[in-house]
This record gives sequence, C-alpha cells and structure tokens, in this order.
Amino acid sequence: SGGAWKLLSGLREGQTQVDHPQMDDVAYWCHPIDVHFATKGLQGWPKLHVQVWHQDAFGRTELFGYGFCHVPSSPGFHQLECVTWRPLGSWQEQLSQLFVGGGPQLLSSDLIYTGADRYRLQTCAMGTVHFQLAVLLRNFDRYGVEC
Amino acid sequence: MAAASCSPTVFLLMVSGQIERAQFPEFDDLYCKYCFVYGSDWAPTSGLEEGISQITSKNRNARRDLVWNFPIDVTFKSTNPFGWPQIVISVYGPDLFGNDVVRGYGAVHVPFTPGRHERVLPMFVPESTSRLQKLTSWLTGRYPEFTDPKVVAQGEGREVTRVRSQGFVTLSFNVVTKDMKKLGYDVSSPNLASSSLTSVTDGMHNF
Repeated sequence: SGGAWKLLSGLREGQTQVDHPQMDDVAYWCHPIDVHFATKGLQGWPKLHVQVWHQDAFGRTELFGYGFCHVPSSPGFHQLECVTWRPLGSWQEQLSQLFVGGGPQLLSSDLIYTGADRYRLQTCAMGTVHFQLAVLLRNFDRYGVEC
Repeated sequence: MAAASCSPTVFLLMVSGQIERAQFPEFDDLYCKYCFVYGSDWAPTSGLEEGISQITSKNRNARRDLVWNFPIDVTFKSTNPFGWPQIVISVYGPDLFGNDVVRGYGAVHVPFTPGRHERVLPMFVPESTSRLQKLTSWLTGRYPEFTDPKVVAQGEGREVTRVRSQGFVTLSFNVVTKDMKKLGYDVSSPNLASSSLTSVTDGMHNF
C-alpha cells in the first residue's frame, strides 16, 4: 500500500501452509486475511502481492509464480482471481530447470507491483490464485469519495 | 481530502487495475504498451500514463493464456466528463525473423461507475486493402500499423480502415471517483455497467 495508508491492525504479510492436494489440481490454503487500514488519501490503494512456491519430494522449494492484484475499491464480498507468472531464463537455464528444477527469481519484489521496469523481463504464464475478500469502508462518502 | 469541505470545482477519477492476460491463439512471446487518451479538460495528477510490459510466454503445460499481470495506477482530474479517459492497448511480438510486429490494437473507456470491473477487449490490426501491398508486406515482413495507436480511440477515419481481429486482452479496473456527486453528476446505473460487452466475451469462449 502507498504512503498515505497506515496499517492499524492485522498482519501485513504471511505465509500459508503447504497443501498436498489429493483430489484435483487445486491446492487449498484456506489462509485467513484480516487487515485494517486507515488512510489520508486515495493514492496507493492497497494491493495484494503473492508469491507461490512449490515444495518437491526432496523438500526443495522452487518458485512457481509471482502476482499482484488490487484490493477491490467497492465494499462487499469479492471473489478475485490473481494471475501469476514467473521469470523465464535463457534456453540453457530452461533446459536445466526441466531436469533439476529451480529457476530464476527476482532480486527485488518491487517489480511485481510496479510497471516501470517490467519491460526488461521475459516471463511465462503460471496458475491463478483465488481470493475471497470482504471489504468494509467507513466515512468515504463524507469526503466526497464514491467507491 | 481536506479541500473537500469547500465547494469543489473539479472531480477526481482514480483508476487502478491491471492488464491481466490475453488470448492470442496464433502468437506467443508478446508484450504490450498502454496509454490513455482523454479530452482537453482532463489532466493526469499522479501515476504513470503509459507503460510497457514484460515479454510473456504461454505456459506449455496448462492454459493457453498469456499473463502480464501489469499494473495500472493513474489519477485524473477534470471539470467536464466529456472526453472521459480511454485506455489504448497495443500488443507486439516477434515474427518468424525476430522483428517486432504489432499483433493487436484495442481501446476501451475507463468504467464510469466506481468499483471493480473487468473488461475484455477485442484486439485488431490494420490490413492492407490491395493485393499488391499484401504481397509486398509478406515479402518484406513489414506489416501495416498505426503511426499513432491513439487513433483506435477515435471515431474519425474508420470508414477507410480495414482490420482483422485476432485476439482478446482482459483488463481489470478498480475505479474510485471523488466529488462527482457533489458536482451533480450521476453515474449509478448498475444494470448498464457491462451489458454491452457480454457479446464479446461470448466469442472468447469459442476457442
């Protein structure tokens, strides 16, 4: 979130459990999100930023996807689908990734939610992360803000 | 926000969102550019008005969508809703010889109503009207493109352009407005919000 936004309570970040799905191709994390923000301005509306990691049979973790999505601006219940991607290396790296796993990662996570330096990346589509969010707003219309 | 207590003369439009993904069945390794086109009474106050995304590839294993997940964050102010901002997207990718070729143009108005919106843009490229030009562009690898992508947001000159549509781009918007109601503008008719685009999304599910 931007500079005008202040976290009053709740966890700004967290890590889910590792799910080993037995039924289908969906991992269910059931991770609770509960945050309370206060703001003085509209700029920098909060974003959700996710990194998906995969743990293989040897206990090694590898990156499966980065993604972000904005917290909906209208109050109420929202189901969001956050698309994710991962950086793509050179063909040698892709070949070694095919056999031994791993793969390139971003050094700074700023690239995930800012657009300025993205053009230097080459990426590949990965899965989607599903969110269920309920948004409550207070006193926005007193300042003429229509959400 | 402190200035809201006196009577306002301008209203603000905050647009945040992302260029989420695209479907181009024939192409891969694409990047996109976006820019905003707006009327003379409008002025951006913060955020990036244009941007270039990363180059993205399809996933070989699963779905055949391209994912950009590219952020859009911009705030406009205006005194007049005429010339409401439109976002213009242009998609580029390499051809067989590695030259960057345009793969689609598209434009849509930023949603009027506050809240979260999803828009699916059909993407098209201009086509040569004569057989000879088609042949020479096939031989030289130089395909027709618009010198200024902003023309796709305008209504003039459409009668002389011939295009082919070859993909879709999905955008999501979060729109917040400030002082629209105080200035007497009414934008709330939720039943009209996205009905005009349902026919477009129908076509998308066919492939």
